[in-house]
Amino acid sequence: MEQSVRDEILTKLKAAPKAAFPARPHLPPYKTLSMDREQLIAEFINRLAEEAVVVHRAKDFPEALEKLTVVALEEGLKKVMATTDDVVLRLDLPAWGKKNDIQVMTPEDFPDRESYRDAVFDQAQAGITGVDFAVAESATIGLVHNKDQARLVSLAPILHIAIAPVDRLVPAYEQVIEKVFGNKKHYPSQFVFISGPSMTGDIQGVLFKGMHGPRKVIVILVG
Amino acid sequence: MKNISLFIPCTVDLFLPHIGEATVSLLRRLGMNPVYHQEQTCCGQPALNAGYRQEAKKVAKHFISVFEKDEVIVSPAGSCACMVKDHYPEILENEPDWLRRAEALAPRVYELSQYLVDVLKVEDVGASFDGKVTYHESCHILRGLGVSEQPKKLIQAVKGAQLVPLNGADSCCGFGGEFAINFPDISESMLEDKLENFLASGADLLLLSEPGCLLNIGGYLNRNHPGKKIMHLASFLSTNGREAGYGN
Amino acid sequence: MEIKTEQFTELAKKELKNDRQRLFLKLIPPVMRMKREAGFGTLPDAPAAMACGAAIRAEAMARLPELLEEFEKNATANGMKVVWTRDDKEANEFIRNLAKEKGIQYVTKGKSMVTEETALNEVLEEHGIEVWETDLGEFIAQQLHRTPFHIVGPAINVPVEEVRDLFIEKIGLKEPTLDPVQLGYAARLFLRDKFHHVKMGITGVNMAVAETGTIINVENEGNIRFTKASPPIQVSVMSLEKVIPTMKDALHLVRLLCRSCTGQRLSVYVSMDSGPKKKDEIDGPEELYIVIVDNGRSKIYQDVKAREVLRCIRCGACLAGCPVWRQIGGYAYGWAYSGPMGQVLNPVLLGLDKTQELYRASTLCGACKSICPVGIDHPSLFLYYRSKDVLEDPIFKSKDRPWAERQFFRIWSFAASAPWLWNLGVRMARPFINKDARDGIISKTIGPSAGWFRKRDLPSMAGFTFHDRWKKMQNTESRGQKSE
Repeated sequence: MEQSVRDEILTKLKAAPKAAFPARPHLPPYKTLSMDREQLIAEFINRLAEEAVVVHRAKDFPEALEKLTVVALEEGLKKVMATTDDVVLRLDLPAWGKKNDIQVMTPEDFPDRESYRDAVFDQAQAGITGVDFAVAESATIGLVHNKDQARLVSLAPILHIAIAPVDRLVPAYEQVIEKVFGNKKHYPSQFVFISGPSMTGDIQGVLFKGMHGPRKVIVILVG
Repeated sequence: MKNISLFIPCTVDLFLPHIGEATVSLLRRLGMNPVYHQEQTCCGQPALNAGYRQEAKKVAKHFISVFEKDEVIVSPAGSCACMVKDHYPEILENEPDWLRRAEALAPRVYELSQYLVDVLKVEDVGASFDGKVTYHESCHILRGLGVSEQPKKLIQAVKGAQLVPLNGADSCCGFGGEFAINFPDISESMLEDKLENFLASGADLLLLSEPGCLLNIGGYLNRNHPGKKIMHLASFLSTNGREAGYGN
Repeated sequence: MEIKTEQFTELAKKELKNDRQRLFLKLIPPVMRMKREAGFGTLPDAPAAMACGAAIRAEAMARLPELLEEFEKNATANGMKVVWTRDDKEANEFIRNLAKEKGIQYVTKGKSMVTEETALNEVLEEHGIEVWETDLGEFIAQQLHRTPFHIVGPAINVPVEEVRDLFIEKIGLKEPTLDPVQLGYAARLFLRDKFHHVKMGITGVNMAVAETGTIINVENEGNIRFTKASPPIQVSVMSLEKVIPTMKDALHLVRLLCRSCTGQRLSVYVSMDSGPKKKDEIDGPEELYIVIVDNGRSKIYQDVKAREVLRCIRCGACLAGCPVWRQIGGYAYGWAYSGPMGQVLNPVLLGLDKTQELYRASTLCGACKSICPVGIDHPSLFLYYRSKDVLEDPIFKSKDRPWAERQFFRIWSFAASAPWLWNLGVRMARPFINKDARDGIISKTIGPSAGWFRKRDLPSMAGFTFHDRWKKMQNTESRGQKSE
């Protein structure tokens, strides 16, 4: 039965008259493609500022940790959820947490998705993640979701802190897609582009941040 | 002297003939020889808009046979020029011979301001007017023909005339032929927006290049704001803005 | 959702009387236009970008069946379960049965226009499954039992007092605030609880990429990401025209869609799913269903011209760009889709007989066509449907035109091709047309044209037409020449 519905629809579509379609016109390249590293970083920071993303710059990971400490103090953070991706691992957040009297949870602490869900919804004051990509074209970071980059960590807590190594900054989305979808055998279950805090204008067109996703995004640019 | 074949739409012929006269006078002033084929009737747009393609085709074929020997055809109506240029080839696509004739005719049809500025390379036609004017961008002229700068250049070259901006100039006035009669509430609402913008512009005179819009906006002005004036660009340029009032 | 497309004229009249809405419609569309233009201004060549969008969607429609097969093959290889459904009944039934089978008590839902078409929410509710729309605008519209006012801001027109009262009643709002931000936060808390415990989520699909078997969703709020992250079951519903050939094409369309919709370079969240969660992942769906819905599209696909309608990527730019929509807002169109995109889509999905007024309520001004990022020629389609009524085409379920109108155009076109008859007709019609004229102006009349004269005059038909004036000019000139 199932097969026949599929076949019925496809047969109908295939029986329709054929039509030609125009060739794609030539598109001039986006301006970020001709920028050097410093320009790209400046461009990226400008875009982030437009979306009210708070940006800290650190020359290396130790300095990034210092910036994180400042942020934690400013935001009054006592309990956070962090992913276990390769960027975050470089910070050794459990140790940092102990030193600063901040409880750092990770998804691995939880035996099942339900208890993890409870923690990330109700207990985590912030989600701390690395980024797989940053894109200068807009205020965009890219996250490849997998066991070390759980989805809800950058979504449920009201604050998202993203640690972005500058060497992951690319000019345009195409460079990201090439890497993420380059290997047919290894598509991630989910890939997301995040461009600033959650937002809506659905009530009388009045724009505000923090609808369902994080109300605030802080990016610590490292390098 | 160059012959210019006049394409006078039925709206002008029957309701606004002075616009036809203004067009003639303007072309003569610029050294052209306007000719007028008495056999012309209508471009067929009302039939196409109502869905009557066979009937529109019939009228199109008559039009093509009347005009196809002319080198240049000029009309003071953009929507009618669009009908001939864009829609004749479309409705005749299944008749190869007529299609060929329609496609041969299309490039020779011009809206008046388009012809004056783009072909004759004239912007100053020797007119003068003391006062503020503003310009309504009729939909078919703007989006159908891509004509927007040409009328404004002609207006700006008029000695003493001050062209002020019109808010929402490119917003439809609500005519749309049958639309105004079949959906009067929505049409009036669109008209009232246009009027509000005209009144707020500070201009004494509203100019446009489309007889349909003129009937629509002018009809509303005559009933509700008799002190406010509207004029077709051809009349404005030909009579220095002193054309007689609304009505026949 | 009740289909009210046949009541367009009355609904429009009613909407025109809503002064608060009229004020809103004067203020917001110009802002949206400015944002859209600013967004396109960030592209190096906006017209080329739009032409490219049109080319991508034209290809997608031309190659629709093979792209659907490619998508299905790759999505299935990725572990998704692809389900084909012919119409609203089959689509709703599948989702309902799945929910029942899994013991689902409620679902959270991301915005999906095709499920508004199929009225999925009503069917689920009838079977005891609670549905929570989670896009703020859809949530408000759902609670108010209204169709979407605008495809992107479904309740953007609702006065803030109404939202406050609604939230006091439905979500336990304690502080009676009129601040949209506070109201939004209240909705956030309420819906967060739903996301926390949800077991099945339903989303729409913005793009289905054939090349990789990936679905893409675009949003600003985060409700779709929640719906894809929290529950163990995800159902994503797509009408079959959502398929796109390649990832590169999809990226380009996402750039266009976001700019066209809200003027953004990119929506806050763009999520791309290529299968359920991997074994070791702690969140994300264990089962991911893609429900492909036909609902009349394969039928309209048979007509190469009408097929153009299927290019639409639901950006909504044509709504605020339309001078008619700006007068009446979205409710008057009577179904899921309003504005010019509704005027071209509703007729082919519901039948021309149920939607005659929709494709006639247009001045053919062309604003929609000029801003459509995928090159749909709405005015041409309106004319096409109108011609289908005259031809009585069964594919389109067209409705016959009145006999009097048919005769009028027959006679009129005959006269317009025979100048002697045309001139005779003019002479005969003049006294009839001018019978109520005073001082060269007609201010009233009876009959079908009476609507014009409510607020407008018309010049009387000239006693001395241009035809006559030219003749006189020629005679005067030739007499003048003769006398020289």
